[in-house]
Amino acid sequence: MTAVPAAARRREVDAQVGLVIFLGATAMLFAALLLAYAIVRAQAPAWPPAGAPPFPRGAAAVNTFALVAASIALRRGRPGLALGLGAAFLAAQGLLWQHLVAIHLGPTAGALGEVFFALSVLHAAHVLGGLVALAWAGARRRRLLTLYWDFVLAIWIVVYLAVCVL
Amino acid sequence: MSERQVASIDEEIEPAPTGFLRRYVFSHDHKVIGRQFLFLGLGFLAVGGLMAMLIRWQLARPGAPVPVVGKLLFGPSGGVISPVAYTALFTMHGTIMIFFAVTPILIGGFGNFCLPLLIGARDMAFPRLNMASFWTMFAATAVLTASFFVPLGPPEAGWTAYATLSTAIGAPGPGQTLWVVAIYLNGASSVMGAVNYITTVLRLRAPGMTYTRMPLTVWGFFLTSILNALFVPVLAAAMVLLLFDRLLGTQFFIAGSTPGAGGDPILYQHLFWLFGHPEVYILILPAWGIVGDLLSFFARKPAFGYRVTVGALCGVVLLSTVVYGHHMFTTGMSPLLGESFMLLTMIISVPTALIVLSWLGTLWRGAIRFPTPMLFCLGLVFTFGVGGLTGLYLADITADLYLHDTYFVVGHFHLIMAAALLMSLFAATYFWFPKMFGRMMSEGLGKLHFWLTFVPLNLVFFGMLAIGYEGMERRLYDPSVFDFLKPLLPLNRAISHAAYLLGAAQLVFVLNFFWSLARGPRAAANPWQVGTLEWSVASPPPHHNFDRIPIVVRGPHELGHPAARPLGRDWLSQTELVDETPPAAAPSPETA
Repeated sequence: MTAVPAAARRREVDAQVGLVIFLGATAMLFAALLLAYAIVRAQAPAWPPAGAPPFPRGAAAVNTFALVAASIALRRGRPGLALGLGAAFLAAQGLLWQHLVAIHLGPTAGALGEVFFALSVLHAAHVLGGLVALAWAGARRRRLLTLYWDFVLAIWIVVYLAVCVL
Repeated sequence: MSERQVASIDEEIEPAPTGFLRRYVFSHDHKVIGRQFLFLGLGFLAVGGLMAMLIRWQLARPGAPVPVVGKLLFGPSGGVISPVAYTALFTMHGTIMIFFAVTPILIGGFGNFCLPLLIGARDMAFPRLNMASFWTMFAATAVLTASFFVPLGPPEAGWTAYATLSTAIGAPGPGQTLWVVAIYLNGASSVMGAVNYITTVLRLRAPGMTYTRMPLTVWGFFLTSILNALFVPVLAAAMVLLLFDRLLGTQFFIAGSTPGAGGDPILYQHLFWLFGHPEVYILILPAWGIVGDLLSFFARKPAFGYRVTVGALCGVVLLSTVVYGHHMFTTGMSPLLGESFMLLTMIISVPTALIVLSWLGTLWRGAIRFPTPMLFCLGLVFTFGVGGLTGLYLADITADLYLHDTYFVVGHFHLIMAAALLMSLFAATYFWFPKMFGRMMSEGLGKLHFWLTFVPLNLVFFGMLAIGYEGMERRLYDPSVFDFLKPLLPLNRAISHAAYLLGAAQLVFVLNFFWSLARGPRAAANPWQVGTLEWSVASPPPHHNFDRIPIVVRGPHELGHPAARPLGRDWLSQTELVDETPPAAAPSPETA
């Protein structure tokens, strides 16, 4: 009788260990992209590149709040709300990308645009992965999902600081 | 370990699936997934090997039509390998061998099969993720295969896919795009495997299986998985940026195209080799682990310096992450940086030498037996030794500036990536075949296979070292157009003949493999008389591996143990409790 809950508890820890390893691998993916950004930036004659319009920091910062709110909602045990906020973040990022292309900061418009697009598109893919997991797991697996969402949020903050602010 | 602890681990046994699909196709069983990886990898090993034969044909007889299959493969050029086809051939040969043959066979196949069995677990920590890992790899092979059949043909940028050869400028066709996607999927499969393997080793070891009682094979796969988890994502980053360059029009790897844009082809090399050098160790670490165990098993004595070996393996893992710059000495990097990379690269030979010395120490005064797996292990010790030593020449900047991109490099990395790894995966196949399939392989054919492989293998790669030292560059379509390379043609021809022999010798292996699969004598549970956990269960093991989770009481290499003598054998199982009081306690008949 006692063996089964013990096994279930052990599997839960297994899953956490596995997720931490996976997040370590994902962190390396973004670390490599940030390294590429650092090299591109170090080799550019000027930064931001000459002729590039100023980056719309405010709009990108507003999107950040959606992601923060999603993380908080998940911690408060509101997976439905978190799902909505995560989707809102993706939609807002879509609008931001559209705006960037319009003001000539798109992926083909030079170093700043391409760096931001590469990092934010890949980040959005991981947010999307989190949304799928959230939709599939719902209220179950809360600790795993919270860990994942906090990680995705942390990555976004690093990307925002590195590309938009610094 | 206490009964209570065991009881908590000894959960209910999952019943074996009965449907065909769940048993053989979409199986969660690590033993089935391991065999799937093995067959997939062996298939691609054959494909990559045949490509090598075609490459050697062109180098032996530049411009001559390929016999037998020439009209079929190279119809439009009248059976002659065109320069374009030649470039595609060496690109796909390298890609297939590294990512789609050795990786699935060694890490996917034997890693999957061995890990849970060797640490006393019922399965991997995440069986479904394990299945996903295989099918992701399968999807990668499908995408790679598709690249042969698209307009403008398969990729031609080399297995390293250097920018700008691999960007839309150098490779406008969709073949290169498919290559990028295939490598990305392959990496995803590797990371899934790594997450699974690391968690399994950390969490599912049987009671008493401490880190210093793990077989070296497990250490090899464990450390490889750590490198996989950390560095395959770096390759993924390179692939993503390359894909963006190709599809979205970004210019990460295209130099000076727009004023103000800092695009740089060398950036690709940094990202690629940041992954690429650990990759060498990702592949060789399991081989080292397997050989460390097998040398002990067949020398019938404990592995010499087990802890030193484990420490050296860990040291290699750490150092492997900071030496990648030695692939880029000729890119015009700062001399100070180059010297640091040179020094670090040479330092890596210290732990590596410790590992080789441990092997020799294991053999020293052993009661050596020479079944086929042992022959291949000894073959590895030799080829790895030579391959490692030639690495020292290339680590030296001044020598590398001359030898860079010559056949000396090709000979060097083939001695390790081809010769040593082939030796290890054949050793592993001959050794674990009885456990995998429940039948013994033929020893006679195995020994024939060894000698027919070992001798030509060395002729081929030593020959490459020689022509490289003479100055022949790699990836040349027709070396005979250069006057100074014309005298090398007979040597090139000799290398090719040895390569054909090497290729033909593999038919012996194929014959042995399939014949043994169908008709081989039934294998006993422990045909090699060794004490690691996989040999304590039936061959092949039941679906749940262990009826009771074993309790481990000793290390993996208890051979020639005095306490085993009263039992009439020279080995002790890792789970065996025996009276270990030294025989001196009771007077022996001779002295009495």
